[in-house]
Amino acid sequence: MTRKKSSQDLSVEEIELRSWKAKLVGAWIFTIPIAVFMFSERIFGFALMPVEWMIPSLLVLGFPVVFVFGWSTIRTGFRGLFSLYFNMDSLIALGTVIAYLTGFFSYFNFVADYSGVASMIMAIFITGKFIETKARGKASQEIKKLIQLGAKKARILKNGKEVEIDSSEIKVGDVMVVRPGEKIPTDGVVIKGESAVDESMISGESLPIEKSKGSSVIGATINQDGVLYVKALKIGKDTFLSHIIELVEEAQGTKVPIQKLADKITSVFVPVILSLAVLSFANWWLITGELSRALGVGISVLVIACPCSLGLAVPISLMVGSGIGAKNGILIRKGEAIQTMKQAKIIVFDKTGTITKGKPEVTDIYSKDKNNRLLEISASVERFSEHPVARAIVEKAGLKKYKRVSGFKVIRGKGVQGFIGKNRILIGSRKLFYENEISLDGFEEKISNFESHGKTTMIVSKNKKILGIIAVADAIKPDSPEAIRMLNKSGFRIIMLTGDNERTAKAIARLVGIEEVLADVLPEDKSNKIEELQKEGFVVFVGDGINDAPALKQSNVGIAMGTGTDIAIEAGDIVIVKGSLVGVVQAINLSKATFSKIKQNLFWAFAYNIVAIPIAIAGLLHPIIAEIAMALSSITVVTNANLLRRKKI
Amino acid sequence: MKKLKLVIEGMHCASCASNIERSLKKVEGVDSVSVSLMLKKAIVEAKDSVSEEDLKKAIARAGYKLAKIE
Repeated sequence: MTRKKSSQDLSVEEIELRSWKAKLVGAWIFTIPIAVFMFSERIFGFALMPVEWMIPSLLVLGFPVVFVFGWSTIRTGFRGLFSLYFNMDSLIALGTVIAYLTGFFSYFNFVADYSGVASMIMAIFITGKFIETKARGKASQEIKKLIQLGAKKARILKNGKEVEIDSSEIKVGDVMVVRPGEKIPTDGVVIKGESAVDESMISGESLPIEKSKGSSVIGATINQDGVLYVKALKIGKDTFLSHIIELVEEAQGTKVPIQKLADKITSVFVPVILSLAVLSFANWWLITGELSRALGVGISVLVIACPCSLGLAVPISLMVGSGIGAKNGILIRKGEAIQTMKQAKIIVFDKTGTITKGKPEVTDIYSKDKNNRLLEISASVERFSEHPVARAIVEKAGLKKYKRVSGFKVIRGKGVQGFIGKNRILIGSRKLFYENEISLDGFEEKISNFESHGKTTMIVSKNKKILGIIAVADAIKPDSPEAIRMLNKSGFRIIMLTGDNERTAKAIARLVGIEEVLADVLPEDKSNKIEELQKEGFVVFVGDGINDAPALKQSNVGIAMGTGTDIAIEAGDIVIVKGSLVGVVQAINLSKATFSKIKQNLFWAFAYNIVAIPIAIAGLLHPIIAEIAMALSSITVVTNANLLRRKKI
Repeated sequence: MKKLKLVIEGMHCASCASNIERSLKKVEGVDSVSVSLMLKKAIVEAKDSVSEEDLKKAIARAGYKLAKIE
């Protein structure tokens, strides 16, 4: 489905480019002789034909240039004039048609002949459009590549036999056979086989990821060395790749605040220029009394003004920037984030799943009595909880049979409670035990010791007696310290936010190099903390998109961390697909680079129009030079945006 | 409320984007319009009462063609 759409999209652009190319060739075939005739006297010192043949031949040769090859421009231009939905073509259409008509009027001797000029303006305009279209295609190349990324064919098992089908025909539940070197056709789960999979095209992660039975795989990633049997779980618009494409495409329609002025000007640009052209024409005619001179000035004003450079400056930079981002697993969802990022002073990181892997493991079990079945009791109670720490305990215990538990209850932010027989079991943090007035005597030292090593400590009690403690650690992601070091160097104030207790949190913070820690923050308070910090400056919040959605929304720029197989679509202004902190550094660098490109482009577009239009009004520019300048100005903006690609992020 | 992605033909310059935006916003029941000049698409959020025909007409009024709705 996705693929079909993409090939159509591509061909539309290809058709557009080809049509401009055909027009370009056609227009110049007639325009070159026109130019030779017009300038022969000046260049060769003699006229190539008798004067009385000159104007008729210019009119004959010019007709196809203006009215055949330029027809689409003339048509939309005049339609715009009559419907009052003015566009760029309205200016060119009016300029060329008036210039062409002077050829006829010159027979009545009240005006000089500009008909040759009409053809030249149209030919240059078409050339400019061709170059611009080509460069625009280049600007969207990363996004186009993303759209074409999907596998075309798939092999599925049908009654025990392998059958090749189109990827679009895969149904959820089909088992796909993926050989080494092949693309995995769609999202699914490995049911047989082992292999490494290259996911760089989706996540920007350069190292292949090991996959075995039970691993999730993403469509369009490439299987490296073993045969994988994958059960399809998501198809069509629901796949990871489709979501990424959708995010990137939707971002293109969002606005960067700085473009407001440019947009406002663009929307009134053409009518303003039309009035200016009429005024300059009238003024020159009144003052000099020379109709020809006045017409020349009027035409110059019409064709020199360039709304395209203004209107394109921001969207094309945004497109190149978000394309580069997508290639590196950084999805910019809102154009605004690019501008806001520049003002950011404070970066707040959530701990679990952002700085750390988010997969805690049991590291120590401490109990004074060897036979009290600490782990068995804990796992039996904790298996009713969804909390990652609970899962770590259940996994560690690996029980086949659990004890019967009744009255299970989550005590939010503190722990859990359940009954085994008549015995009340509590598992949780210190707070839980203070509140229940259960003494931690004899365990305090051990608890502090675990905590200062960055381990989360779960205390387990039966009725009023402590059974023991289970320490759980969530390893930091390998590139977290490197990323924090880079951000520290860039002068950001960095804060770690967590629900963990202060000692554990500080130990983790030390490991990655963060000095400021906000510990013991309940999940629902995270966004309040962000709000408080915002009094001191713009805040970037980095967290997972599922639990931290309110904090992501509250912050000035919310960066959502993906897990590599899932992305939270709704939260975050920027999404880091692979969820690495280095991705955050890249996202900040990319935003800054893109924003400075936007500013450059806007500057040139404004400067061009502010300088060029008055010069044309002053009558200092020949219409042909004016048209060349116009074409160059929009080409410059588009080319400059493409230069963003050279920036290392 | 519904969200529609319109693919538009004939969008080739900066004024086009603002023309289309202006015309679509005039349609009764359309809440928000964002036009991407680069993708030649418009994303429209509108009440369910807004028909495909209304949007098509609005785009035609500004001088462009609705190629398809995604």
